[in-house]
Amino acid sequence: MGGVEDEEPATKRTKVSFEELRGLSNGSSFIEPVSASSSDLMARPLASEGDKEVVGSKGIIKRVEFVRIIANALYSLGYKKSCAHLEEESGIRLHSSVINVFMQQILDGNWDGSVSTLLKIGLSDERIVLSASLQILEQKFFELLDAEKVMDALKTLRTEIAPLCINKSRVRELSSCIIAPSQCNLVGSCSQDTVRSKSRSKLLLELRKLLSPTVMIPEDRLEHLVEQALLLQRNACIFHNSLDNEMSLYTDHLCGRDQIPSQTLQILQEHKDEVWFLQFSHNGKYLASSSNDRSAIIWEVDVNGGVSLKHRLFGHQKPVCAASWSPDDHELLTCGLEEVIRRWDVSSGECLHVYEKAGIGLVSCGWFPDGKWIFSGVNDKSICMWQLDGRELQCWKGQRTLRISDLEITNDGKQIISICRENAILLLNREANTERLIEEDQTVTTFSLSRDNRFLLVNLLDQEIHLWNIDGDLKLVAKYKGHKRTRFVIRSCFGGLAQAFIASGSEDSQVYIWHRGSGELIEALPGHSGAVNCVSWNPVNPHMLASASDDHTIRIWGLNELRMKRKDTHSNGVHYCNGVPERSLKGSHWL
Amino acid sequence: MDVDPRHYEHVAINDNDIRNVVLSYLVHNCFNETVESFITSTGMKQPADYLEGMEKRKRIFHFALEGNALKAIELTNQLATDLLEKKEDLHFDLLSIHFGELVRSRKCTEALEFAMSKLTPFGKVQKYIEKLEDFMALLAYEEPDKSPMFHLLSLDYRQQVADSLNRAILAHMNLPSYTAMERLIQQTTVVRQCLSQELGKVTCRS
Repeated sequence: MGGVEDEEPATKRTKVSFEELRGLSNGSSFIEPVSASSSDLMARPLASEGDKEVVGSKGIIKRVEFVRIIANALYSLGYKKSCAHLEEESGIRLHSSVINVFMQQILDGNWDGSVSTLLKIGLSDERIVLSASLQILEQKFFELLDAEKVMDALKTLRTEIAPLCINKSRVRELSSCIIAPSQCNLVGSCSQDTVRSKSRSKLLLELRKLLSPTVMIPEDRLEHLVEQALLLQRNACIFHNSLDNEMSLYTDHLCGRDQIPSQTLQILQEHKDEVWFLQFSHNGKYLASSSNDRSAIIWEVDVNGGVSLKHRLFGHQKPVCAASWSPDDHELLTCGLEEVIRRWDVSSGECLHVYEKAGIGLVSCGWFPDGKWIFSGVNDKSICMWQLDGRELQCWKGQRTLRISDLEITNDGKQIISICRENAILLLNREANTERLIEEDQTVTTFSLSRDNRFLLVNLLDQEIHLWNIDGDLKLVAKYKGHKRTRFVIRSCFGGLAQAFIASGSEDSQVYIWHRGSGELIEALPGHSGAVNCVSWNPVNPHMLASASDDHTIRIWGLNELRMKRKDTHSNGVHYCNGVPERSLKGSHWL
Repeated sequence: MDVDPRHYEHVAINDNDIRNVVLSYLVHNCFNETVESFITSTGMKQPADYLEGMEKRKRIFHFALEGNALKAIELTNQLATDLLEKKEDLHFDLLSIHFGELVRSRKCTEALEFAMSKLTPFGKVQKYIEKLEDFMALLAYEEPDKSPMFHLLSLDYRQQVADSLNRAILAHMNLPSYTAMERLIQQTTVVRQCLSQELGKVTCRS
């Protein structure tokens, strides 16, 4: 025959002996009979020019496997013709002809044929053969029942299934199914699954899972491998801060610094004096700030990330040193420095209650996780707990807290954390009435609790920030340096996607941002003209950061437009500014 | 505890009592010929309707025992009209015997049809479902005697059902469903057990 094309079917070619097809088996334990599938897979011998056994620069991908996986993916995407074409061109069959026959028999409902073909596939593990045969026979059984051929179904059960099936209770279940379909009187005896036979393609899917992956490639194998690679890339990405998983396959995923807020988007100038504290609400919709001007302000964050003044809260006679959002964000506590605590309604801005202790001043405030009680540090070093209506519930006396001190409670309401000595933080377990102590060799100024309550970020006098693991044994996990702190209380916080970053204020007027895992300093953001006392990262929008400064202003930081524009549209992890695809915060009046 | 046998002799026993005990045993188990000769020999008063009831019960019992449950049901309905309606458990058990016989004689189609028409209505009630499943499982095997449910086809099972049926009929006729003899033996056994436990405790302490 002149002009023999490569498309000639394999059967017309001389069968290649098993020894020559070494590339096929990866040395696994199953042995295929010589007449079988491996030679079947190859329509022409391997060793032609340019047809190497491996592909890829590292030489670890076997050509045959690679092509088969691609063919498999084409097939499941529905491109059957392309799949067939690939098989022809490459000369590598996705499945051996025995398997093809088998699959077709399953889809055609040729049960007896498929069971006998199963034996021809040559699987070494008998249990798999048994298990697959039983699945096929059960499908036969259920299809007969569905077709109301009850006696035939019974016959299958008696003559084919029961002899094979070691699982007696399964036989029992099947026999009770005989009665069930025609008279649905047997309450709860068959689950929904078994009364109706499943579809044949579903059966095929399950059989594929059962049979050895070299014999029948698992469904979605290529997709699985690609997902693995993407996840690995994402986990390795230290700047990863993008909201959506818009990872592209075209380049390796690596977020650039452009995902970290680094540009001042707004400067809020409503306070008349140093701004000491600020914090976003849990839902990211509000920002509370407090100042030396004896007021606090509730700001509202709109959908585009713009921040505007909502309420001014007047009433304190002393500088407001702290604020705390209720768990449902409907109310706010503010604490005057060694003065009283005020509880405000967020929507109306009115003061709902004033909590005080005669003769002594309160220094910090917080809510219990159920929102029913509040607690506060007192300047006589005790911690006090009130019901919302003002009734005092409990008071822990003794050296629990310092004169000026942070106070936090874990989400389960069990542990209260406070600075109890100059260089120690107390973790008091209310339930068990036990105490744990984090001891530092430097004075502790402030601390911050992570959202998952497993870590504590501690600010020290000597300009280091320490990260402690408080879940189980207390352990120092990381240190962050670079910012400046000499005289004032400077606060730091967790932030970004999955709280993967640490941000802090600094006396050199910059906002510092570190990568939490590696400790690497990512940004030092200039802008303020006074010490930055406090930072807060929006818990809901990883691209929004707020900082409070002695220069009387609050700055809102967001993604750097210029950096984002420079990147190619197809690279990864880019283009999200507050979740809105095109940047919308251009307003020059804000800058 | 061994009591001196001479102590027994002081207890007076009524002869009639003994005869009644024996008679009740014979009647319960339908030994009608023996009942007749016993009555004749002892000269006891003959209870009127005993014999007739006994004859019928005997037939019912034997039909059930040999597996002819349908006949047993028919006769039971004649003798004690609404008994089986009231005692659904018993009804089910009898029907299941018939089913078992069909299975034993390899009449699968009939067995299946019978099950679907007569047994499955019971399946509406939770407590019958397991029993029903047990029986249905018999169908799955070509050799039901070798299946895990083989005991459902055994004589023991039929005996059990026949006994229950007998007792139910007696109760229905306002007759004692347990013989005096059975009760006496049961009582004695329990008493002996209690006593030996007590004795055991005493000897331990001393």
